[in-house]
Amino acid sequence: MAKKTGHYTVVGTRQPRLDGALKASGRAEFTDDVVLPGMLQGKIVRSPIASGKILHIDTSKAEKLPGVRAVITYKDTSGLMSGSDKFLLCENMVHFFGDEVAAVAAVDEDTALEAAELITVDYDPLPPLLSMEEAMAAGAPALHDFMTDNIADEISMSFGEPDQAFAESDYIREDEFTVQPTHSAFSEHHIVLADFSLPDRLTIWTPIQSSAIIKSSMARNLSLTDSSVRIVNLHTGGAFCGRGADKPHHYIAALLSRKAGRPVKIMCTADEEFLVYRGGGKYKFKLRTGVKKDGTLMVMDADLLHDCGAYMETQFILLRFVGSNMQALYKMNASRYSGKLIYTNNPPYFFHHGAGLVAMRFAIDSQLNLIAGELGIDPVEFRLKNAVEKGYITPAKFTYASCGLKECITKAARKAGWKKKHGKLPPYRGIGIGCGMLRSGGKGMYDHDNSSVFIKLEEDGKAALFTGLPDMGQGSHTTMAIIAAETLGIRIEDIKVVAGDTDVTPYDVGAISQRGTFTTGNATINAALDAKRQLAKTAAEKFGVKPAAIIFQDRKVYPKGSPEKAVSFEDIVYATLHSDEGRYVMGRGFYNPPSGQSDMSKYEANTALAYSFGAQIAEVEVDPETGMVKLLRMTVAHDVGRAINVLGVEGQLDGQVFSGMGQTLFEECVMEGGQVLNPSLLDYKLPRPFEVPEIERIIVETSDPYGPFGAKEVGQGPIQCTSQAIANAVSNAIGVPIKELPITPERVLKAIRERS
Amino acid sequence: MKQILSLTVNNDTYEVAVSPWRTLLDVLRDDLGLMGTKRGCGNGTCGVCTVIIDGRAILSCLTLALECAGKSITTIEGISSPESLHPIQKSFIENGAVQCGFCTPGIVMTSKALLDEKPQPNDDEIKEALAGTFCRCTGHIKIMEAVKKASQPK
Amino acid sequence: MRLPRFEYVRPQALEEALSVLAQSGSRAKILAGGTDLLVNMKQRTVCPEVVVSIKTLPELLMVSSDAQGFTAIGSSANLTDLAANAGIAEKFPAFIQAVRAIASKHIRNMACIGGNVCLDTRCWYYNQSKLWRDSRERCLRTGGSVCHAIKGAARCHAINSSDTAPVLVALDAKISIMKKGEKRLIPARQFYCDDGIRNTILEPSAIVTAIHLPDGNGAGRSSFIKLSMRRGIDFALCSIAARASFNGAGVTDVKLVLGSIASMPIVLEKAAQIITESGLTESAIEKAGEVARTELGSITNLFTSAGYKRQLAGVLVKRALYELREKTAKRGRAKA
Repeated sequence: MAKKTGHYTVVGTRQPRLDGALKASGRAEFTDDVVLPGMLQGKIVRSPIASGKILHIDTSKAEKLPGVRAVITYKDTSGLMSGSDKFLLCENMVHFFGDEVAAVAAVDEDTALEAAELITVDYDPLPPLLSMEEAMAAGAPALHDFMTDNIADEISMSFGEPDQAFAESDYIREDEFTVQPTHSAFSEHHIVLADFSLPDRLTIWTPIQSSAIIKSSMARNLSLTDSSVRIVNLHTGGAFCGRGADKPHHYIAALLSRKAGRPVKIMCTADEEFLVYRGGGKYKFKLRTGVKKDGTLMVMDADLLHDCGAYMETQFILLRFVGSNMQALYKMNASRYSGKLIYTNNPPYFFHHGAGLVAMRFAIDSQLNLIAGELGIDPVEFRLKNAVEKGYITPAKFTYASCGLKECITKAARKAGWKKKHGKLPPYRGIGIGCGMLRSGGKGMYDHDNSSVFIKLEEDGKAALFTGLPDMGQGSHTTMAIIAAETLGIRIEDIKVVAGDTDVTPYDVGAISQRGTFTTGNATINAALDAKRQLAKTAAEKFGVKPAAIIFQDRKVYPKGSPEKAVSFEDIVYATLHSDEGRYVMGRGFYNPPSGQSDMSKYEANTALAYSFGAQIAEVEVDPETGMVKLLRMTVAHDVGRAINVLGVEGQLDGQVFSGMGQTLFEECVMEGGQVLNPSLLDYKLPRPFEVPEIERIIVETSDPYGPFGAKEVGQGPIQCTSQAIANAVSNAIGVPIKELPITPERVLKAIRERS
Repeated sequence: MKQILSLTVNNDTYEVAVSPWRTLLDVLRDDLGLMGTKRGCGNGTCGVCTVIIDGRAILSCLTLALECAGKSITTIEGISSPESLHPIQKSFIENGAVQCGFCTPGIVMTSKALLDEKPQPNDDEIKEALAGTFCRCTGHIKIMEAVKKASQPK
Repeated sequence: MRLPRFEYVRPQALEEALSVLAQSGSRAKILAGGTDLLVNMKQRTVCPEVVVSIKTLPELLMVSSDAQGFTAIGSSANLTDLAANAGIAEKFPAFIQAVRAIASKHIRNMACIGGNVCLDTRCWYYNQSKLWRDSRERCLRTGGSVCHAIKGAARCHAINSSDTAPVLVALDAKISIMKKGEKRLIPARQFYCDDGIRNTILEPSAIVTAIHLPDGNGAGRSSFIKLSMRRGIDFALCSIAARASFNGAGVTDVKLVLGSIASMPIVLEKAAQIITESGLTESAIEKAGEVARTELGSITNLFTSAGYKRQLAGVLVKRALYELREKTAKRGRAKA
């Protein structure tokens, strides 16, 4: 049961989402549901080879096909780059299977397909670099002509005195962990509708996590002013870290639209999804850890190699995140890290669900389990011993104003029956624990970190809340409505949320970096307080008291101590509007977390004021003959600061356990020759109902001093715990360390055989 | 060569001219403007395009429109009224089984077909019916809870 | 994904359908449930000029018992209807188990038994979109000369992934095939070919009209097990259909047939022989599992490694045999 500090009316309830009826009735509008007059269908022509020179592009036949309205190649792009290292449409070289070479827009999809097939491109294939080892080998050719090698980015960080810490360690262990490439696999395919048919005015309909980022990127790259770009972000069919930025198809649709003078829609087909997704690349993580013999953690030293595929895009974020977050979960004296992004001719990667940190958490917590085993310390005790806590300052100067990690560990262990089970299960049954954390309201992902909210009040006492924050399913809009209702002293059904159009809504950096609940939530409080102040002025005049003495509670307004004098909220709104000055109530609020550092190049110091923490315990059963792993139960405890919407928080825990489970037991892009061999939901395995475990949810509330009503993020923190909980459980079941994800049946069998 | 097709969808009759290669999904969305049924994988693995035909959950992306003459087709638009959502829809909303909402119509229709056939399915029957659908947001967990609750006698 | 253009024909009777097929030859494909054909068409692995719809032909929808002691099931019988057919389930439990294990419920709602019996083989390098396949040399199946699954292979090794195929072979079922002017009845074992391309003997203008399951298996037991990564959606990594008859003397007529592991169902003669000789003892069963592995011959790395498939084959043989033993024991106890 969640612990409540203070009495809330709306916060902390189980609130069905406000757009539930729209979505459950099929009325919620997604980008593919938008039909504009004269709209054309676009199709992208992609490279069929992983590496090679373009010798010749012939679009003449396509241009003549009846129904074709525009064809573009690099010649139509003025050298536009859709990333720091990617030309939108290739001119001389292609670098991955699927690289964008040309595009057509036609009156219908069949014609567009036919036209695309009529575009002939002659290639001179080159031997592709398909693994990081190949790309880093001495003498390997540089994939990009502006590079001399294939190290797309590299970084080193060191906090504290690692060498000294190793010298003081009693026991040092080194392991290497591998995570195979993965795919975002959201329900709604990548899609864009672009209208660039009027000069200097671009409208984009697309599912996206940040309207602000795509807006400013597209403006800059297309030489437009920011305000001449309008992003309409209707409902978004899932994102899971995969829709954080503009991608080539956005620009391609815009250029086709400009050339044709009509709106153009491009929707990626099922196989294209496995080319445009920018999911998780292959991950090799070498970890060396020093501890004292009593289990005190001293130091971690890690080397990361991450396959970034053909283009780096924004993966430098992952490189930095891993290094700075390594030292954030357990107390240690020092940490050191070096990370490299390696170019290969694989599809460009970014990060999979979990902000690119899941693989690192899997590695760290799996190794800690091995260390605990060698030292004869119970894994739960080991974690409790080293868990960070409130007030602790990490080597990289993260500070924790609230921290429920120990509470999560203890509660999860108790609920799961750890003591009765660990070391006492029958053969091939296992139990394992995994811990994780994630920053809340993180900064540094963009030029600034602003969230702004408007609240307008109608004469009937109802409110409209305007936010630029997308809701990709996580329920952010309902959360904002709850926060506003609580602050204003009204009910959630009194609030509607207006979002998804940058022409209408105020600025918001977006639903990235766990900014929703924390940053936009605080902006919402500020907007509601502003509206409240305007109303309090009217009420104060009416009641003859100071504005500070006015209480807003459950749609009533009264002076403190005299509830019998209460009038309705609606009356005060009405009176304000009908004041002599005609004071229409418009609450405005903004918030930029005052955590200081907002510079991605600096790794120290808090880039966030708050962090969520969690612990999960997995129970598995392994079939020793087939190697198949059945995940029986997950006990999930997460410190969310405050559960603004308990139903929403539960949904996040469930979904992330599911995604974490997928990444751990099932998901792998099987690569060959730069191609994904399993580019469909049939062959790229995600769990289905029969595979889903029983789940026990424990919501821990530590009431963060900076979070809105004490709330912190829950959108990506839980998944940081899942993989290693399951991996540790499997390891426990078969008596062999797990060093690679996903834990496929074959890998399990191999491990069992090697043990015997 | 287009054929004139008479389709009965949500108890309304429509006449459309269709080519043989158009799927029921295409016709529902592009010709009849019924956008509630979504386009997903197109190859039968995700279930977002599920409609009910003659009482069964059917993937409209793998159904030729021409083969639907004379059948009773129900889409997500057809199961609620202006006065009230269908009990399954209500259960989904109340129990947190809706997040991004993209898969929701297909899964609601799948669930409705199940409960119409088996008003009180056991857990395995629910899982079997839903195994052809894909929900990344909820991991199917609250969806199964919602279907179970919708099936309980009031 | 879009379907290619085609002409659609919907005959009203079987005779008419056979005429159209005879006329069209390899330009035509038959459409039953469409859950396999339409996906292949979207991927452009199959682009028929003519699609002949046979799902509603009355002659293909009949279920009946014939005088020869077989139950005939029309090839257009819907899989969900079949799965719910209690009478057939009682007589042929392994067959209905296999039907219930096919794909997902959505697919079964749409698909027909004929489609699963004749299911096209599958391969990582074939069941891909045109975009994907254009990046590689054409393979043996798509008009080229290489096999991507096995380098240097002289023939196609795509895998028969039908769940019902191994059961039909194990039960000694027969298959009715018709083309214009010709009707044949073929043992299931002879219907399937060890070839990834022409994996059945069916010619382009012929269709399977019915499957015939032999009645009178009162003394027999059958078992079907499907191993897949996920339940309720996936093709098998490996499957097995097993049967045996029991009389006072012991176990006879043992059939062990592996599915989804090669281009055709594999009948394990040696493993079956061990059981015939020694009965369903634990040591015989374990030995049969071992022998099965070696009896397999070479297999592909498609969808999972050959070594793992071999392991699964051995495991499935044992599990199927233990199941048969368990069913015999139950029956024995019930009788006593």
